[in-house]
Amino acid sequence: MPKQSYLCIQRSQPGKGAKPSPAQMQEMYAKFNAWKEKFKDKIVDMGGQLKAGGKIVSSEGATDGPFVEAKEVIGGFMIVSAESMEEAIEVVRQSPGVWRPESSVEIREISTP
Amino acid sequence: MSTPRLVEHFFRHEYGRLVATLSRRAGVQHIEAVEDAVQSALMTALETWTIAGLPDNPSGWLFRVAHNHLMGELRQRTARRRILEQNAEEDIGTPENGPEIFLAGEVRDDLLRMLFVCCNEAIPLESQLVFALKSLCGFDIREIALRLFTSEANAYKRLGRARSHLRKHPPRPADLAGEQYSSRLPAVNKILYLLFTEGYLSSHAEMAIRRELCNEAIRLAAILAEHPVGQTPETFALLALMHLHAARMAARQDGSGGLLLLEEQNRELWDRQGIQVGLEWLAKSAQGDGFSRYHAEAGIAAEHCLAPSFQETRWDRVVECYSLLERIAPSAIHKLNRAVAVAEWQGPAAGLDVLEGFEPPTWLAGSYLWAAVLADLHRRCGNAQAAMRYRDVAFESAPTPAVKELLRRRLRTGSPG
Repeated sequence: MPKQSYLCIQRSQPGKGAKPSPAQMQEMYAKFNAWKEKFKDKIVDMGGQLKAGGKIVSSEGATDGPFVEAKEVIGGFMIVSAESMEEAIEVVRQSPGVWRPESSVEIREISTP
Repeated sequence: MSTPRLVEHFFRHEYGRLVATLSRRAGVQHIEAVEDAVQSALMTALETWTIAGLPDNPSGWLFRVAHNHLMGELRQRTARRRILEQNAEEDIGTPENGPEIFLAGEVRDDLLRMLFVCCNEAIPLESQLVFALKSLCGFDIREIALRLFTSEANAYKRLGRARSHLRKHPPRPADLAGEQYSSRLPAVNKILYLLFTEGYLSSHAEMAIRRELCNEAIRLAAILAEHPVGQTPETFALLALMHLHAARMAARQDGSGGLLLLEEQNRELWDRQGIQVGLEWLAKSAQGDGFSRYHAEAGIAAEHCLAPSFQETRWDRVVECYSLLERIAPSAIHKLNRAVAVAEWQGPAAGLDVLEGFEPPTWLAGSYLWAAVLADLHRRCGNAQAAMRYRDVAFESAPTPAVKELLRRRLRTGSPG
């Protein structure tokens, strides 16, 4: 079966969740690297963090937002390659919530012509 | 896409180093802003390094990011308050100075300086301890509360006391020069001792957690002993006793996490190398004519480490050390320990004689230790009734199931022996 690419969008709620301690960060770092190693064949692009703020461009020009809803922030993205949505879900499900605690990930298949 | 591993406790120890260095540059009164900046820098590192991999010099990278966070924050505050007397930018230097500060010596000095800053008799001892665990060891409040068996609210209150004192009376560089260091050394030794015993003596079943406190105490004490200010017999003796106790730690627990009595421990499990290190520090501590409580305690620990078996322990020497300890640092607990050692040396009746007519202070009288020792000595003397009475008290006041189980084995009824 041909592989599909999936865009994974990580969302989090600003200010929610306790800050991890340095010891917990180290644990997250190790877990995340183990996860990255395990799925290295499926991760097409590690993507990255998205900085806060930005511009919305429409036919009326560029404005500062608002983005979706103020209580929800897109924190980062990456691209995963998988044979099915189920497989993509599995890759994401196993990833330690390293970006921000209490965040969720939206997975969208990227359509190929 | 290989991901190099970070050394153990990298984040936690970087936290301590960065807080110490940035506090020196910005002033301890800004400790909260410093800690926030360091926390943010570590978080940024976690997010960046997991995606882009480790930078060439992770410590330098962290310093630059934390430094920039802090500068931004302090500049904002300065602007907000329009206070120009403390020009943060000049105080803390430029980030280009970053790599140079990672000369081992200077980081070591920053850590030490922080240790001396927090060991200030104007700050309650328990607050000093929490402050050191937070700022120097990089534990957060939850982790500290867990390790000190207190509530988060209480740990936070203790931290607050230390911080508010330092905010109101920030030490000037001159406050911590030569003589000041020496005069605060006993307080520094004491806090390290306390940190160690919190880990070692706690009845908490979680071995790994306790061990961490002991390791932190040893780490900081070793840094202290490397510096001229810490090169004193007391600090050497302190390190000796830490290593000698730590060497026996692994053998203090059975396979399922229960505590083992000294006589039940498998001496094969003792860490011979650790004992060797401890004995070397002990030899080094035997200079000058000062004999501190740390010398006495290290002496006791050494006797146990050197004894081939429980029965072959040189109890006369242990008793002697306890007598010295009682004289230097009078405490009912030392008397109680001496009674135990005397009982091993000259029999249970002699042990009871030590405690004859002694009124224990309430904190000891109500503890399981006091009741357990009396129950044991009476049992071995054949005083069944007294033994039972004390045994019930000991069971009742045992703080954890592990201690209760240990008491059950030790104080089992039956023939004296």
